[in-house]
Amino acid sequence: MGVEDAAINTQPLLSVRDLRIEFPLRRGTTLVAVDGISFDVKRGEILGIVGESGAGKSLTGQSVIGLLEAPGRIAGGKILLDGQRIDNLAEAEMKKLRGARIGMVFQDPLTSLNPLYRVGAQIVETIRTHLNVDEATAQERAVSLLREVGLPAAEQRMSAYPHQLSGGMRQRVVIALALCAEPELVIADEPTTALDVSVQTQVIQVLKQSCAERGAAVVLITHDMGVVAEIADRVAVMYAGCIAEIGPVAQVIRRPRHPYTVGLMGTIPHLRADVASLVQVPGVMPRLTAIPQGCAFHPRCPHTFEHCTRERPMLTQADETATACWLWTPEEEVRNGKAANVRADDE
Amino acid sequence: MSEALVTVNALSHEFDISKPWLNRVLEGEGRQVVKAVSDVSLSIPRGQTFGLVGESGCGKSTIARLMVGLMPPSSGQVRFDGVEVGGIGWADQRRRVQMIFQDPFASLNPRWRIQWILAEPIRTFALLKDGAAISERVGELLRLVGLDPLDGQKYPHEFSGGQRQRIAIARALASEPDFIVCDEPTSALDVSVQAQVLNLMRELQQRLGLTYLLISHDLAVVRHMSDLIGVMYLGRLVEVAAKKHLFEAPAHPYTRLLLDAVPDVEILDRPEAAGRRTAISGEIPSPIDPPSGCAFHPRCPLRFAPCDTQRPDLAEHDGAQVACHALNAK
Repeated sequence: MGVEDAAINTQPLLSVRDLRIEFPLRRGTTLVAVDGISFDVKRGEILGIVGESGAGKSLTGQSVIGLLEAPGRIAGGKILLDGQRIDNLAEAEMKKLRGARIGMVFQDPLTSLNPLYRVGAQIVETIRTHLNVDEATAQERAVSLLREVGLPAAEQRMSAYPHQLSGGMRQRVVIALALCAEPELVIADEPTTALDVSVQTQVIQVLKQSCAERGAAVVLITHDMGVVAEIADRVAVMYAGCIAEIGPVAQVIRRPRHPYTVGLMGTIPHLRADVASLVQVPGVMPRLTAIPQGCAFHPRCPHTFEHCTRERPMLTQADETATACWLWTPEEEVRNGKAANVRADDE
Repeated sequence: MSEALVTVNALSHEFDISKPWLNRVLEGEGRQVVKAVSDVSLSIPRGQTFGLVGESGCGKSTIARLMVGLMPPSSGQVRFDGVEVGGIGWADQRRRVQMIFQDPFASLNPRWRIQWILAEPIRTFALLKDGAAISERVGELLRLVGLDPLDGQKYPHEFSGGQRQRIAIARALASEPDFIVCDEPTSALDVSVQAQVLNLMRELQQRLGLTYLLISHDLAVVRHMSDLIGVMYLGRLVEVAAKKHLFEAPAHPYTRLLLDAVPDVEILDRPEAAGRRTAISGEIPSPIDPPSGCAFHPRCPLRFAPCDTQRPDLAEHDGAQVACHALNAK
């Protein structure tokens, strides 16, 4: 597969291969929430993962950092950090990794900070857990981190409780927390969704800058194409648990290939241009219990042909973008149907 | 421009957030009020959409509630087709004003079938008497919003977010209103579903000649839907202008910064701008203790002498109404 060939030259920081996340249901059936996705993140790269709710974006992020909540489980595939498998680590091992090598920024800063501890204490604790430094050094580091993420009056704010800070400031603190052990990878799950527009830009710029200075890679999970366009290098578009298209931001947004991405881009109202009427993708994303046979998008797709209903398309690389659509798959492969593609769709 | 259907005159609303009486006496504190909306005046021409934008806490939703009479204003008034909302004769006009709420998961009674939900306004206003006629009308409403008449048998939980919002729209239409207040109608929805709902709202407006007040924090949605736009900051209107005017030549410094701050895919066409966009510094101050003078002055790049003492009023500036000392002085 094209994605893997490209990865041979330089080892990616994060590699996800055929990741499959399942939720067991009653009566022995399972619900497949993420179905065989593969992607790489290079060092220092910002990969955006976009999609509508229920597409599996957050689950993907959670499984990378080992915070997938039961009963959800990784049912297949592997996750490699710097060539090392991390999906099958014991909890104790994962704990060492989490926070130290992989940082996390959650959507709601109010729930990711402990309301009973002062902001400074939380950062100092995290620093001392991961780095072998004394209290004073940790304090100093915490202040400089807070200053770096643009928290005004950082020294005084060390002794503030989370409720005393505004939403934007809290999210800055959360970013500082995620960065305090100098992780190589930061998973940011909807980091700006809970914030006002005028604060959103400030926060994503801080995230981008701080990560760029450290060379940390970011997996940015969001539903906002604007945020992705603003800071991501590459973007993966997810639909019903699969990656529909992955490639450089400019290419995917400006010249989308997958009919879903085309539709998605058309549905976004423009800020700087008037459009008569928004493109309508008919229907809604299927429920995970009723994902259609073949390509999951085919019932909503304007270009569906017979093959789409039978077999699920795999990501096919063409220049820098990979698309999972039979329209973008070389014809002989469509006709023969690659053996590897005949996946367990009827499971 | 056609005549105004809705006019709002010097509308203010205060919320009392004082501590209980005993605490006030013991701690020697006075009453404390939040001015959620202060001195807002606007008018909405018949058949048009007035978009109200602003960040959280700026009083958008309070205005929505005051407009439909869910709360009485502290001062000022809303007039709908010449009748004061909540005043004499309002009861006869009540049917003509409806509202669509933000969260379609909370605004539909989970224990009611859709047909009961849709029939309620019809029964309340006694638009139709006969049961068969009502169920026919309910089917018609469901078709109008792109659902199947048979869906009337179902309960709200059987529908997706977008479909529920369609039901909420159908309910608003059930009383044959002229004016619908839409409070963040699509912010709980995914973009592809948002597009469906926005298109439906526009289509219904054209077909039924509706007038909308659209409240949203999403500038792109407001641009797509509105004819006139008002920008709010801490309870006050800072700029009112026609859509084209507002987006092409935003006047108030807050509007300008807001337009510049929105993360937008268009940034890809101007890569040079990506690094140096002027994010608004600071955040919205608490409405409990707003800055003196112009509420925006601590964040404003144009502030000068009178800004922190005098409050600017809306004044004509290049075809828009702007409340800013720096612009009005010119």
